[in-house]
Amino acid sequence: MDRAWWAKVLMIVGIAALAIWYLIPTYFYFKLPPDVRNDPEVLQKALPSWAPSAKHKLNLGLDLQGGIHLVMRVDVDKALRTKTETRTEQIKSTLKEKNIAGAEAKALPDDLRVQLTFANADSAKQAEKILSDYYQDMHVASGSDTSVLMAFNDQDIKRAKTDAVDQAVKTIRNRVDQFGVAEPEIAKRGADSISIELPGLKDPERVKDLIGTTAQLQFKIVDDDNAGAANLFSDVQLPPGTTLCARSNHCANAENVPYLQGPDRKALEQLTQGKAPEGDEIALEKDESPGQAPTYRTYLLKSKTEATGENLIDAHAALDQTGGGRPYVSFEWNPVGAQDFERLTENNIRHRMAIILDNAVMSAPVIQSKISAHGQITLGANKDYNTLLTEAQDLSLVLKSGALPAPVTIGEERTVGASLGEELISRGWKSCALGILLVVIFMALYYKMTGVIADLALVLNALLVLAVMALFNSTLSLPGIAGFVLTLGIAVDANVLINERIREETRAGRTPRGAVEQGYGRAFWTIFDAHVTSLIAGFVLRQYGTGPVRGFATTLIIGILASLFTSIVVTRVCVDYLLKNVFAKKISV
Amino acid sequence: MELIKHNPNIDFIKYRKVAVFGSLAVNLFVLILLVVRGLNMGVDFAGGSELEAHFTKSVTATDVRKAVESAGFKEPQVQEYGSPEEHAFLIRIGKLSIVTPEQATQVESAVKSALGADLADYRFDPDQGDKFEVKTKGGADGKSAPDDKALRAAIEGHGVGVMGVNVTREPNGQGFDVEISTSGVATKLEAAFQKLNGTDGASANPANEVIRRIDYVGPQVGKELRNRGIMAVIYAMVSILLYVFFRFDFRFAPGGVVALVHDVIVVLGYYVISHREFNLIAVSVLLTIVGYSINDTIVVYDRIRENMAKLRGKDFPTIINVSINETLSRTILTSGATALSLIGLLFFSVGSIWDFAMAMMVGIITGTYSSIYIASPVTIWLEEQFGRHSHLTGSSGNQKTAAA
Repeated sequence: MDRAWWAKVLMIVGIAALAIWYLIPTYFYFKLPPDVRNDPEVLQKALPSWAPSAKHKLNLGLDLQGGIHLVMRVDVDKALRTKTETRTEQIKSTLKEKNIAGAEAKALPDDLRVQLTFANADSAKQAEKILSDYYQDMHVASGSDTSVLMAFNDQDIKRAKTDAVDQAVKTIRNRVDQFGVAEPEIAKRGADSISIELPGLKDPERVKDLIGTTAQLQFKIVDDDNAGAANLFSDVQLPPGTTLCARSNHCANAENVPYLQGPDRKALEQLTQGKAPEGDEIALEKDESPGQAPTYRTYLLKSKTEATGENLIDAHAALDQTGGGRPYVSFEWNPVGAQDFERLTENNIRHRMAIILDNAVMSAPVIQSKISAHGQITLGANKDYNTLLTEAQDLSLVLKSGALPAPVTIGEERTVGASLGEELISRGWKSCALGILLVVIFMALYYKMTGVIADLALVLNALLVLAVMALFNSTLSLPGIAGFVLTLGIAVDANVLINERIREETRAGRTPRGAVEQGYGRAFWTIFDAHVTSLIAGFVLRQYGTGPVRGFATTLIIGILASLFTSIVVTRVCVDYLLKNVFAKKISV
Repeated sequence: MELIKHNPNIDFIKYRKVAVFGSLAVNLFVLILLVVRGLNMGVDFAGGSELEAHFTKSVTATDVRKAVESAGFKEPQVQEYGSPEEHAFLIRIGKLSIVTPEQATQVESAVKSALGADLADYRFDPDQGDKFEVKTKGGADGKSAPDDKALRAAIEGHGVGVMGVNVTREPNGQGFDVEISTSGVATKLEAAFQKLNGTDGASANPANEVIRRIDYVGPQVGKELRNRGIMAVIYAMVSILLYVFFRFDFRFAPGGVVALVHDVIVVLGYYVISHREFNLIAVSVLLTIVGYSINDTIVVYDRIRENMAKLRGKDFPTIINVSINETLSRTILTSGATALSLIGLLFFSVGSIWDFAMAMMVGIITGTYSSIYIASPVTIWLEEQFGRHSHLTGSSGNQKTAAA
């Protein structure tokens, strides 16, 4: 056999060996008992040292194995209260635009109403009319000469509740998708809960954190100039461990405004209740040093939210080039957000800007200059690189998928069995094996020697598909199996095409070698066209489909590419060998 | 071994007009049925009810499934829930309004008589299962809760079993929300479960109830995802059209796509006529058939293209006939091989996997058929109307192009 042939054989054997090597973790995974095998550490330990890492394994979808079942309750009441507060701000700006003088608006979140007081009866009347027009989901609950009470319509309250849950479902789905847990099942349950099923997860802590974070990002200005705040906490009873740092008591790190520091978050929250001056609020920042318990400190912030995370276009973890490669979160604004941010930074140079996530201050850097499109969030200063990196990645993910409209709490958490049913699955595997066996036998009977070669190619094809899926840690579910069946059908088809051609050519009187040449040559373009068309369909489906459709498309794409290799190259190599030795006079097809 | 004699000369094209009209009729029939009868949308698309059942002895998921089916609910999804010692299961069934119209009226009058002037709003949506939503004014000050026990008694007095009465304060502080779930679904299933548990006949003690909770569960694939899925399939078809146009000729492309659409409709027809559950697995079947059909069609097209060059002078329909005959053995073999792989599933599986295999079989048969009797006739027709080779079609054709 010539050198080209040996080169091809070497390549094929190499690829086959690589495929088998990458399937080793999957093999061990299935050997482990079901209740421990999803723990990545357990799997890693079970692997021999020369095997690839445990993360390269084939996952089973929810329908084929069990997983975790979480139920989350959406705090719709809070969502409505927040809506009332936002609406109050909107009403304020609308009235300002319409030049209604002397209007004062106050949010009454507990009753879902907005109280408006005006300078005179005329303004009140005008305002009533304008607001009724503008805000169709509200009505005037009551009013006197100079005051108006606006309330939300019952219908719209109900709708807002449903919308909040729907929005939460969407956001959670986004986050889980991005996190890469393939093919979760997320659905609304009852009036205000969401049921989430994730296949295979052994330790859902990280996913729970991801799902449960409200991820409300706000930007406020730190009120460093408040002259009246010099006595902010002077009359406060300090519990043990909590200190007050102010210029008045000659604290080393004193700032213009006094602040409290201590290890007890709840205590600080209680102490600072109601202490903020008009137009300001107090928030806490967490400080963690390695090996020590976290401490918290207070910040006096201006209440007004200057910018929110709604307008974020992108967020990703990045490494701080100047600060020794520390991970942080880099984010980017859309044009509206960029404008807001520009205005904010331009008007507040040399002030501190507090970046607040879920009502906790993440950091409060000094604004050095006007910034528009990009920004960054530095995480806790003193953690190790890996923790910081994971934190940065998780935070970016959560910011990118959008904030939850309301806080969610985890109600239930249980393990669930496979949705397809254990019995069905074992039957399914058996019948699948039977089906493939039938095809293999048929090919061997019908095409004899070349049929056997085609069978070999088929086996290699299946191996390659599984290995690539294991390499990319993909998930196999019933739709994926459907894609797999289609791939095998197409692969068989390719070989049938080739063999039929060879038969034709032999009948036409060609020598075995000639028949093979013509067979492969002519069939190639047919196979190519057919495969590429299916491939295109696969790519489009993968791009625009979600969940199971995606799983199907992925298996299809991998399978077709593998088939182009196995059906043509691999079989040709075998046939060439046999041509020299066995088929010299007559080809067995 | 040879199954098909190696030089068949069956005249397929002769019957093409009959075949096309026949297929058109079938497609129309399916589409009408789709509108009139509709698909049996599974829980994935339409949502349904979710129950949590706790047994006191060890039962298998299969037993539970059989029990649910015996109570009249088809094709439930049964999952083990929690650790094995809990003997608990999570069960999902399709959307069913268990409350009959008579029962609904009974509940309405019971609620109205029990609450009287305190009733602010009453709502019942049959699509949401068997939950009634009632709003009360909350008495004079808006803060007195309605008596849930009295409400329950009133409704049961009107002959409708009550699963639960849930009272919550309105978020704006004025009045209360009362959610009443009746026990239509629950009673039937509870009886079946008690039998399975071996506790039927024991006193009706609420503590021994197997069913702990019933909730309405929303669809997996909401409207948005469904629309995205449909767009994905349409984009895929357009891309295929473009590729075929580029590689073959513009007259070939429409035929392939029409064949594809035909196949999708026929498989949908299978689901409409058999009324088997249409869920995400069904969608995978449809996608598989799309891939299979186009693969088949391209193989035939390729042969046609080859013969167009080889058999100059012959008219177009003859070329196509020859091509189809030449690829016949390959076509039957591939369909046969794929069908073989599904036979195992058909004979030894049940439930969703059986549906999957059956629908695929239908799809493979129609995929093969469409390449011969849909794609080719359409191509011939386009050739007659617009083609360069219209002088080959033997029909009157277009005088302008004949001269060109």
